[in-house]
Amino acid sequence: MNPAAAKEMRPYLEEPKAMPVGTPGKVGYLFLGFELDADGKSILRDLERHAPLIVQQELYFDEQMPEMPCVYVLSSGGPNVDGDRYTQHVVVRDGAFAHVSTGAATKLAEMRYNFSALEQRFEAGRDAYLEYLPEPTIPCRNTRYISRTKLVADPSATIFYSEIFLSGRKYYRDGERFRYDILSVRTEGERPDGERLFREKFVIRPERQSPETIGAMNGYDVFANVVVLTPEEHAEALYAATEPFIDPVRRLAAGITRLPGRSGVLYKVLGAESGPVKRLVREFCSAVRLRVKGKPLPEEFPWR
Amino acid sequence: MPMRTENRSATLMRLMEFTDSAFPVGTFSFSGGLETAAATGLVHDAATLEGYTLDSARQSAFTDGIAALHAFRAWHRKELEAVREIDRELLRCKMNTEARLMTRRMGRKLAELAGHIFTDPLLDAWLDEVRAERTPGSYPIAQGIVFAACGIGEQELFCAQQYGAMNLIVSAALRCLRVSHYDTQRILFRAAETLPALYEEVRTLDPEDMNAFVPQIDILASLHEKGTQRMFMN
Repeated sequence: MNPAAAKEMRPYLEEPKAMPVGTPGKVGYLFLGFELDADGKSILRDLERHAPLIVQQELYFDEQMPEMPCVYVLSSGGPNVDGDRYTQHVVVRDGAFAHVSTGAATKLAEMRYNFSALEQRFEAGRDAYLEYLPEPTIPCRNTRYISRTKLVADPSATIFYSEIFLSGRKYYRDGERFRYDILSVRTEGERPDGERLFREKFVIRPERQSPETIGAMNGYDVFANVVVLTPEEHAEALYAATEPFIDPVRRLAAGITRLPGRSGVLYKVLGAESGPVKRLVREFCSAVRLRVKGKPLPEEFPWR
Repeated sequence: MPMRTENRSATLMRLMEFTDSAFPVGTFSFSGGLETAAATGLVHDAATLEGYTLDSARQSAFTDGIAALHAFRAWHRKELEAVREIDRELLRCKMNTEARLMTRRMGRKLAELAGHIFTDPLLDAWLDEVRAERTPGSYPIAQGIVFAACGIGEQELFCAQQYGAMNLIVSAALRCLRVSHYDTQRILFRAAETLPALYEEVRTLDPEDMNAFVPQIDILASLHEKGTQRMFMN
């Protein structure tokens, strides 16, 4: 992918004055390869990283599933800044399983010349299982951000992929809600043979078209999007067990639908604050794990 | 032959014929999620209805609108394979079971009706593909082909697509909200002013640019999909 080729990023192609695009430290790269070892244990076999993206090693801290390798992706640079280009590639090979998250919220800094980009590819082989449950992304004033995510799942595999976006630094100074320049987010699903399953894209440019309208954010500040690529019997069970709702008292709403091509389900949450939205996404992830792996997620750490 | 007429009056009348809500493709059976929006109280008067209608139409401009324009252009290039590819891509971009079902029903209906009214080789070939389930047969693709075959212009197609998206909602509103005909017609009249700028933007976009951001409407659609009490189809 060349994110600079996206039409919506054309106004933001000036070279950043501080450090040009491509400077070491601005091109993060991460490759994580999980597989079953000779004893049938799921391990992080491959790890390649270029700063500012950091992964140290897999840890087995999941109390409900102690056999689950868990990895936190960290960014040593702090927020994503002007001209940053990050790539993440996670592969879970046949039969293996993994849980990937981030150590803290992803902050997207103020940008003046260029933009920040993230390209991701998540692959799951036969009967593989991957949970990607990162902390929220927080755009601030004049942030320009583009992400392109490809999920490649074998028909027998499950990929749980979640994203949570905040309206901004809501409590900073007089409040920064939807003050960014652009968020362009695309997620697409494929089979390993290249068969395309779905593509979801949204572009938010608050200056041009307010995202706060009745059909979009409608007064909410937090938006979560969860894609679950999974075999149809799991998808149908999850669909049947998940009740959509709009709760005006708690300022929380959620909906579920089936992805095209009988490839899984899509779960969306809107909320006023990140805590309740994160909890719902985590509960949904637990339901997915219970369905596919027979075990729920443990309780979240109190400091998260 | 009735297509590609140089007679502007005839073309204009055909534009009105295919855009008329009385043209029997079944738009009256759908509410575009408004039924649930009304039941939950989210849309409850003319002002909220107007906001809902504009959001809904705008997201359809950047999905269905783009698809319709590209199907229209593919008809002019006589490229059936390109039509099929846009058709499939549009369905891959529709993240809602009901929306996929609705667009396929209406698309097939429009193509079949058009096939009874006039003859066009590409329309016939596409309808064969739809019947053989080799292509989904979505409504904007059918609109693009039918309008192109009748010599109607691209901008007119876009306006018809947008009018259809808005009219579906305001018509449903008369049946599930306390709004008057004055309100709904005023909404349509004002909404027309959004079209010039929207068309200028949409016509430069490719199928890969299709995008939508209406999470509240998506959640309403989910409630409608799983609901048990309804007047409108899913």
